[in-house]
Amino acid sequence: MLSNLVHFLLREGATINAYGLFSFLLFFGFFTGVLIWAFRLKPNHLNHMGALPLDGGEKHSTDKIQS
Amino acid sequence: MNVETFKYDNRVVRAFGIATVIWGIVGMLAGLLAAVQLFFPDANLNLQFITFGRIRPLHTNAVIFAFVGNGMFMGIYYSLQRLCKARMFSDFLSWFNFWGWQLIIVAAAITLPLGFTSSKEYAELEWPIDIAIAVVWVAFSVNLFGTIVKRREKHMYVAIWFYIATAITIAVLHITNSMEMPAGWLKSYSMYAGVQDALVQWWYGHNAVAFFLTTPYLGLMYYFLPKAANRPVFSYRLSIIHFWALVFLYIWAGPHHLLYSSLPDWAQSLGMVFSLMLIAPSWGGMLNGLLTLRGAWDKVRQDPVLKFMVVAITAYGMSTLEGPLLSIKTVNSLSHYTDWTVAHVHVGALGWNGLLTFAMLYYLFPRLYRTTLWSTKLANYHFWISLLGMMFYCIPIYVAGVTEGLMWKQFTASGFLQYPNFLETIVQVVPMFKLRAVGGTLYIVGTFLMAYNLYKTAKAGQFEPETEAQAAPMERSPETGAGWHRILEGKPLFFTVLSAVAILIGGLVEIIPMYLIKQNVPTISSVKPYSPLEVLGRDLYIREGCLGCHSQMIRPFRSETERYGEYSKAGEFVYDHPFLWGSERKGPDLAREGGKYPDAWHFRHMDNPADTSPGSIMPRYSWMLTQKMDKESLTARLNALRKVGVPYPAGYENGPAQKDLTAQAEKIVASLKTGAVTTDPDKEIVALIAYLQRLGTDIKAAPATATTTTN
Repeated sequence: MLSNLVHFLLREGATINAYGLFSFLLFFGFFTGVLIWAFRLKPNHLNHMGALPLDGGEKHSTDKIQS
Repeated sequence: MNVETFKYDNRVVRAFGIATVIWGIVGMLAGLLAAVQLFFPDANLNLQFITFGRIRPLHTNAVIFAFVGNGMFMGIYYSLQRLCKARMFSDFLSWFNFWGWQLIIVAAAITLPLGFTSSKEYAELEWPIDIAIAVVWVAFSVNLFGTIVKRREKHMYVAIWFYIATAITIAVLHITNSMEMPAGWLKSYSMYAGVQDALVQWWYGHNAVAFFLTTPYLGLMYYFLPKAANRPVFSYRLSIIHFWALVFLYIWAGPHHLLYSSLPDWAQSLGMVFSLMLIAPSWGGMLNGLLTLRGAWDKVRQDPVLKFMVVAITAYGMSTLEGPLLSIKTVNSLSHYTDWTVAHVHVGALGWNGLLTFAMLYYLFPRLYRTTLWSTKLANYHFWISLLGMMFYCIPIYVAGVTEGLMWKQFTASGFLQYPNFLETIVQVVPMFKLRAVGGTLYIVGTFLMAYNLYKTAKAGQFEPETEAQAAPMERSPETGAGWHRILEGKPLFFTVLSAVAILIGGLVEIIPMYLIKQNVPTISSVKPYSPLEVLGRDLYIREGCLGCHSQMIRPFRSETERYGEYSKAGEFVYDHPFLWGSERKGPDLAREGGKYPDAWHFRHMDNPADTSPGSIMPRYSWMLTQKMDKESLTARLNALRKVGVPYPAGYENGPAQKDLTAQAEKIVASLKTGAVTTDPDKEIVALIAYLQRLGTDIKAAPATATTTTN
């Protein structure tokens, strides 16, 4: 099956638009890079980042105000 | 530890908040007026200034740039200060941003009803206002980046990333799409023509949705949702992937607005595939938002802010699933030009943007006035009325859209169009238009309730113009030093460059080949520039916003070629500055209108469409029968058109053009006389008839000439 796929790609490859191929590879590379980056981040850092909105630095917290 | 005390500016946040409510009501009322005219055309009171074609762009501009725009600034000015633990970089720039933006909105509210429009959707404003938008946007961006640079919190929270992407991308989109040649103070012609103009416009149009209505609001979601729920976002890791995948992918998706048009196929395919891929980051973002509320759903039952947010995020998920599905070419072949698209954008506008804005307002007003919300019960009523309004708006319009699409494509068993008269298909959905207006009214009633509630909240509390805050200054790593060195080498700059690269790639890959590779727009030798009278007529077509209801792009389907004639070719639009393909059909396509009816038919039709087409929902344009055409501006118009590449002979505008104009006008007047119509050759209607009779006729002139290549 794999060899069929390879043969298909070799045969049909030339008809795939270069722009499409380039665009797909570009995104694939970019997305893989982002995934690797995101998954290498340390949990401590992620917890710190996630908590940032909760501390606005206000002297009198407004969090108790009910909307 | 050294702790600094400083103050957040609440005044500008309040100002943007009040503007959001006021412009929201104005924009929605304009939408309601437009909606009512679709089943009761006389609701325009026979006034050209409030007729559908002019009021629709006013509605879209008011809702996008005035309502959501002010809501976006309100949320960013509030959250950015708190995320950076710093006051805004410059109070002057904050107020310049505020008043400049309001002036732009007022200018739009005056010029659009007067008919000053570039005709490019969501970019209708004329060139002096375009320049003002660029200036105000730069002021906002400087204030944004200045605040980021002087921040006390070392790390930039993901919301700030979304703000940065918004600032850069909107600047790039606005400037590129607004490249136009002035032909007077409030008239200009797009630098681009036909297919290229269409690609640039929808690259802009789609990304105005992406980077004005989506990315800033996602940033606001990532700030206000954790605040309202008092818990961190579900997965910060997911938010990183959400951001980068979204900003990278979004910019490629523009061509899905031009499927089956004369745009080269490779660009259409790119638009479709990247649109489909957008489901992944969009749903990642939606799930990240909804899962933030895990274990806190009891709060959602109590707190109107969270209620609005939950439905807003759900609407984001729904419309970002539907958008990619509509981008599939087969689905699009049915949905395009129908009200399906209108329903789709209103799930986004009413649901995502509207409800999230309401949530922010309900969150902010009690805090700005240091009190509690005047009436939670009233806010709950608002929530349910908004939700009902959305349902009553969207469901009938979905039904209308699918009905239109199916009826347009329906053939009889013997192979003829089942509904050859376009009017039949529109009359069929008029009841849906009425129901839609009921939905819109409900939504507006809810907004009034909110305005009253916020007013009473403000009256009950005391406004806090500045909030005192404390934070330690940002630690500086030894290698970065201080001052400019830090700015240049700091992460914000690096981050900004990365975002800019991510958003530029898609645009460059799609747009540059369109200009450099000639075969993308095969030329047709019989296609000639418009005559002077036709230029004036075309500009009247633009002034009246005809393209709000009539497309000029026949797609290569049998259902379209049977109804309208030969499908449209890229080479037919090479002198169209701007392109006028349109995106909706409330009336038939006009790409091959030329020669279809006699001149006198057009005259009577424009005077009162119901006379020639009983049951028509088209408004009367009787003022065009009495108003004189603007011949004086012809020189400036032809001159500007030549500068953007239309090959009028040198000096043509200085004498021969007026002569040609008069000759053609007199010919039309004579032709009208044979149809028992008498008019003067200097009336606007004569120019409009000249233009309409020209449409699509060039390729009939010389069928053998054609083109070098196909797409």
